[in-house]
Amino acid sequence: MLRLVSGTVGAAYALGYLVALGDIGFGRGARWGWQWAGDPWRWLEARGLFHFEPVARLDAGALVWLVSPLDVLLAAALGGLVALNLHGAVSLARGRAVCGSGTGGVLAALPALLAGSACCAPGLLLLLGIPSLGALAAFFGWLVPLSVLLLAATRLVQRRRGAPAWFGA
Amino acid sequence: MRSLFGLMALAPVAAALAGPPLAEPPFLPQAPAEYREARLSGGPPKDGIPSIDEPRFESAAAAGDRLADGDRIIGIHIDGEARAYPQAILVWHEIVNDTVGDTPVSVTYCPLTGTALGFRRGETTFGVSGRLVNSNLVMYDRASDTQWPQMLAAGIDGPHAGDGLQELRVVWTTWARWRERYPHTRVLTEDTGSLRRYGSDPYGQYNPRGGYYAEDAPPVFPVMHESDRYPPKHEVLGFRDADHAYAVDRAALRETGVLRHEANGRHYLIVHDPGLDTGWVFRGEAPVAPGDIEFGPDGPRIPGRDSLTAVNAFEAMWFAWAGFYPETAVIGGGDR
Repeated sequence: MLRLVSGTVGAAYALGYLVALGDIGFGRGARWGWQWAGDPWRWLEARGLFHFEPVARLDAGALVWLVSPLDVLLAAALGGLVALNLHGAVSLARGRAVCGSGTGGVLAALPALLAGSACCAPGLLLLLGIPSLGALAAFFGWLVPLSVLLLAATRLVQRRRGAPAWFGA
Repeated sequence: MRSLFGLMALAPVAAALAGPPLAEPPFLPQAPAEYREARLSGGPPKDGIPSIDEPRFESAAAAGDRLADGDRIIGIHIDGEARAYPQAILVWHEIVNDTVGDTPVSVTYCPLTGTALGFRRGETTFGVSGRLVNSNLVMYDRASDTQWPQMLAAGIDGPHAGDGLQELRVVWTTWARWRERYPHTRVLTEDTGSLRRYGSDPYGQYNPRGGYYAEDAPPVFPVMHESDRYPPKHEVLGFRDADHAYAVDRAALRETGVLRHEANGRHYLIVHDPGLDTGWVFRGEAPVAPGDIEFGPDGPRIPGRDSLTAVNAFEAMWFAWAGFYPETAVIGGGDR
């Protein structure tokens, strides 16, 4: 059950990441269908730091998904790490309740929040209109790999403190 | 013979440096080095915002309900050909490298400063550098790699630093107004070579105006000079000559139909075009009443126009105009 909940949260996080990037969102009107990019190698081109060109556009009613393989890969990596962290944190919290040990799970929430801000921060800047922060726009993309590193690090800490593996007993 | 080989070896280099057709730069209030220092990354890398290099068009009728009457477009009319470039598409691309009639042109749009300018591009094309000055798009040309802030229309980095571009008048107006003036206009399609969520604007919306484009919304990036004379996103009609810049109060221009301005030994005539809701600027003196002016495909037809010289003008958000031209004169603004 914990794996199911953690996996669902991780998948929702990955979806939210793609929405925040703008890869998934609403288009004009409602239509059904798909469209391929003309250039098959376009998916390797960067639109921004850790944000890549789509190879296809899927229209499902008002919803549009610009399918970028590298963005999906990053979303899956982030979502997977969030799921692992949540699973580890809850497992350690349960253990602590029983035998009074393990606090590493609390830390797992921080990088997950950071990863969320990594994809939303430029949009937030536009909404907030803070000139002094606009100068830092170039650096916001680096929050994505930073989040991956922090999520991976907290997962390692959890494992050392006795959190169970995702696969196994 | 050796010199011949030398010339042959240099030929590709010369071609690469050729760049776009040049002109005397319009007013540059500061040295190119100061604009280089003021450059900021906007986030995307060079060409991360892809220019449209093989634009496709359709008739106004074929565009159907893709465009609402009040949607903003950027229009150009050359050699009897009219083209409309929807803001909803250009917000994702910022530059269209096109050929209108026999003229290779680049139609450029910066969403952060609300500015649309056209340039002759010659044999080269322009791309988006990913840099900003005063929030304004810094273009680069693919022949010489010179960097050109759109509003300055002058090079600030590269082989053509200090040179100017040849500007072409484009019109920032609504789809209904443009279609009324140019019923046979062709319209840029969404077949741009890139996949985007056209119809959604990452900054806000113009119909009605909101988000980043709202008059009172603050700019996001630092500017070189600040002014609170107007709200930051208030639109003025700007033009410049060799050593001065002028901002026309659009409300005053709408009200009077014609404004005259004399400064620095020069006379300017500014004419409101009620059909397109824009202004046309001429240098020279002509006793003109608004009722004397007729508007056609080539803009205003003014009695005694022979003595007038057209000056390029474009709408801009006030914060950006003041950011580049802090000493600008304001025409028709009263004591505001």
